[in-house]
Amino acid sequence: MRLGSTELKLEKRLTLSGWQAALISVLAIVFALLIFSLIFILADVNPLIAYQKIFSYAFVNPHGLPLTVNRFIFLLFCTYAFIIPYRAGLWNIGMAGQFYIGALATYAVLYAFGAKSFNNSNLSPVVIIPLMLLAAGVGGAVLGAIPGFTKGKYNISEIVVTMMLNFLTFWLVAQMIKEGGLFMNPGGRGESFEMPASLHAPLIADIPFTIFLVLAFALLLYYMFAKTKIGYQIRAYGKNPAAARYAGISALKIPLLVFIMGGALAGLAGYHYFAAVPGVYKIARNYGYFGDLAFYGIICGLISQGNPLAAIPVAFLFAGMSNGGRFVQGELSLGFGIDYALLGVLMIALVAFQFFYRYSIVWQRTEKEISDVGIPN
Amino acid sequence: MQKALHEGVKRGDTVLEARGITKIFPGVIANHQIDFEIKAGEIHAILGENGAGKTTLMNVLFGLYQPDEGDIYISGQKVNFRSPLDAIELGIGMVHQHRKLVSAHTVIENIVLGHPRAGRVLDLKRAEVEVEELCQKYGFKIDFKAKVWQLSEGEKQVVEILKTLYRGAEVLILDEPTSALTPLETEKLLESIKAMAEDDLAIVPFITHKLPIVLAISDRVTVLRRGKVVASFETKDATEKSLAMEMVGREVIFRIKRAKVERGKPVLQVEDLSAISDKDILALKGVSFTVCEGEIFGIAGVSGNGQQELAEVLAGLRDAQGGKVTLEGKDITRSSSLERWQLGMGYIPADRIDIGSIGDFSLVDNTTMNYHFDKNYVRRGALDYRKIRQLTEQIITEYDVATPGVDTTAVCLSGGNLQKMILARVLSRRPRLVIAHLPTQGLDIGATEFVRNKLVEAKKEKAAVVLISEDLDEVLSLSDWVAPIYEGEFMGIIPGDDARRENVGAMMAGLHLQGEEI
Repeated sequence: MRLGSTELKLEKRLTLSGWQAALISVLAIVFALLIFSLIFILADVNPLIAYQKIFSYAFVNPHGLPLTVNRFIFLLFCTYAFIIPYRAGLWNIGMAGQFYIGALATYAVLYAFGAKSFNNSNLSPVVIIPLMLLAAGVGGAVLGAIPGFTKGKYNISEIVVTMMLNFLTFWLVAQMIKEGGLFMNPGGRGESFEMPASLHAPLIADIPFTIFLVLAFALLLYYMFAKTKIGYQIRAYGKNPAAARYAGISALKIPLLVFIMGGALAGLAGYHYFAAVPGVYKIARNYGYFGDLAFYGIICGLISQGNPLAAIPVAFLFAGMSNGGRFVQGELSLGFGIDYALLGVLMIALVAFQFFYRYSIVWQRTEKEISDVGIPN
Repeated sequence: MQKALHEGVKRGDTVLEARGITKIFPGVIANHQIDFEIKAGEIHAILGENGAGKTTLMNVLFGLYQPDEGDIYISGQKVNFRSPLDAIELGIGMVHQHRKLVSAHTVIENIVLGHPRAGRVLDLKRAEVEVEELCQKYGFKIDFKAKVWQLSEGEKQVVEILKTLYRGAEVLILDEPTSALTPLETEKLLESIKAMAEDDLAIVPFITHKLPIVLAISDRVTVLRRGKVVASFETKDATEKSLAMEMVGREVIFRIKRAKVERGKPVLQVEDLSAISDKDILALKGVSFTVCEGEIFGIAGVSGNGQQELAEVLAGLRDAQGGKVTLEGKDITRSSSLERWQLGMGYIPADRIDIGSIGDFSLVDNTTMNYHFDKNYVRRGALDYRKIRQLTEQIITEYDVATPGVDTTAVCLSGGNLQKMILARVLSRRPRLVIAHLPTQGLDIGATEFVRNKLVEAKKEKAAVVLISEDLDEVLSLSDWVAPIYEGEFMGIIPGDDARRENVGAMMAGLHLQGEEI
């Protein structure tokens, strides 16, 4: 593109620093919000007011912020469930299923200790909370092991297997919590029995302890990929499976391992949302909604390019926007689905702007003036 | 099929001409004032070491790059290629060294793919008839129904050539046409190239090494060095020596003397080993041999005779169908490749880009490929990156790998430097057994010399070396034992002193030489 005596040109980037990537992401967000304001204008709403409400509810409001934080924890677990296989070049589309199984495993522990029938408050949280966490992680891991094994042993597409398991587990949850199910709420209502108050997760400033857990995983994963032997093996397999095999890295072990780790983290999201978020404490009727939200782990993982630390702000933004979007939809009487539309536009902008990770726009004098200078021999 | 160029073009007319081509990249003048022309029916080779500017020139002629200075003329008319599509449109065809085919598709599908007439519905029947005609005319043989992944490199190249011809190319640019081919395939290809030239096509092979090929086939040869044309002769006036001098800018020693090393105890013992190929046929049919300390065991053969399978079975990347492999007395027939690395195996694979290295990884991370399992470089599950970095710096200095630094990604290295890097990494472990498969394939003269010397050095350090090569001269000059392989069997094992081009060549073609076996 030419403007007067200067020319706009795309140039391939050779390197990309962390702050450049961050700046590009911020620009993408601004761009998405600008585009999305058209929707608000079409709905006769001042976009400035709408955004003010979205942001203040999502990130400031004393009712809204905890909701955002809880979604953030949930989403970050799901993001890691995606990122770990992603670094091995594999696609985990099964965080929803692994999350459901995590939730079921959590409630299985409660059921085993008789929490359903007695609802007694004498159960010791010191024993049972760790057991629930463990069960959730193991449950997700076992489900994850299935696509990991079939991929590693028989080279069956992990995408197909994980997706199938999502359907299977969705109905398994329904089977367990709805009419006649083992975990059915005594009052019917299509949800699970409630957990006893004594087993509610410890809160720190109204935030469940799971936030420390997920942030610890952030550091752990970052360290794992940057420094450890296993992290190296995962990355090598991800970049070039044949070369990894040549270097003595097992083509069975790596897929199995990354899916076990990823599945375990998605399973912990199941514990978090249905056993640690204040006010929930049961497998809710709308568990499918969270299953859908779990897929945003894929988006967050892709936007952060598999970097566990970069995933933190991305997951926080998406959690806030889904929460604030849903709020403003009711508050301003907007049409159904505004929250998902907003997430969608954000996602497209962030992904599209990754073009600038590889190319930069430069201003250049036009060719005419260059040829005046002459090319040195 | 468009025939714009061919109509009215007579044998001997200049079809493609480049005048004063200059192409500058940040920091490098890749091409400087290059003049070049080719006539219909001529074979005009372009010769140069890696980094001499061949690839740049090729890409300029094919429209991938626009030159900073200079013009291209086709049949005397000035043209301006904005993209390869323009070049293809005007009858220029390019056969890449790294094949650009869809491996899951059949041969004929690949040939038709991208053809302007292919449209939405493929008329494969008609295409088959037309391509068969081309095959007949130029003497190509290929199974149209085979999937590309099943083909050997030579067969893939035939597909690429047919694809270009089928699109109506009149000027054929061949990038390293024989680098991946077996002697037999090479011979066939050269015949086909001559047939094409007879048919008034203009052919431009770009060649880094294999000077005999240049001499055998071309009418004219242009030599590039550091982006400039340093010489251009009629081939009849050139010799191997004069070409090498111009290319390298100094005299080159063509033969490396076989080093005398005292034979030690056996390192690798292979008994009646057999294996199945990807196509599910018995590719290796019971080979037996022993390699001792300080020996180079050369396996000579035309590609596709079981060498790939043998290398992979020895490296633990393919299951043995039967037989036994022993490494320093330990049965490793069922051992994983990881265990073999730890026991002192060192494998230099034929495919250095897709198997031997990880392109997106830094050189440090590439070195790690051979050290992530080494207790001296891993502490409590964490890699000792400080030590690995030091090691990488040390080996790139020792092996003279040209790179800005150890954080450069492997994909940025040229073929020769990448091979040096792989060699450095593998040999730095001081392996007891070195398996080197096509170690000098595609390398320029300087790098080839270097790699061969390093293999001899490994031998002097009492390693057992298995050298699998298609370059007969390489096998003959380095090996203490020569085993010609044909259809998965050794045709005999000859002491290096008795091996000659004649007897080994005959055995490579499937003849058992009686009385010479051990």
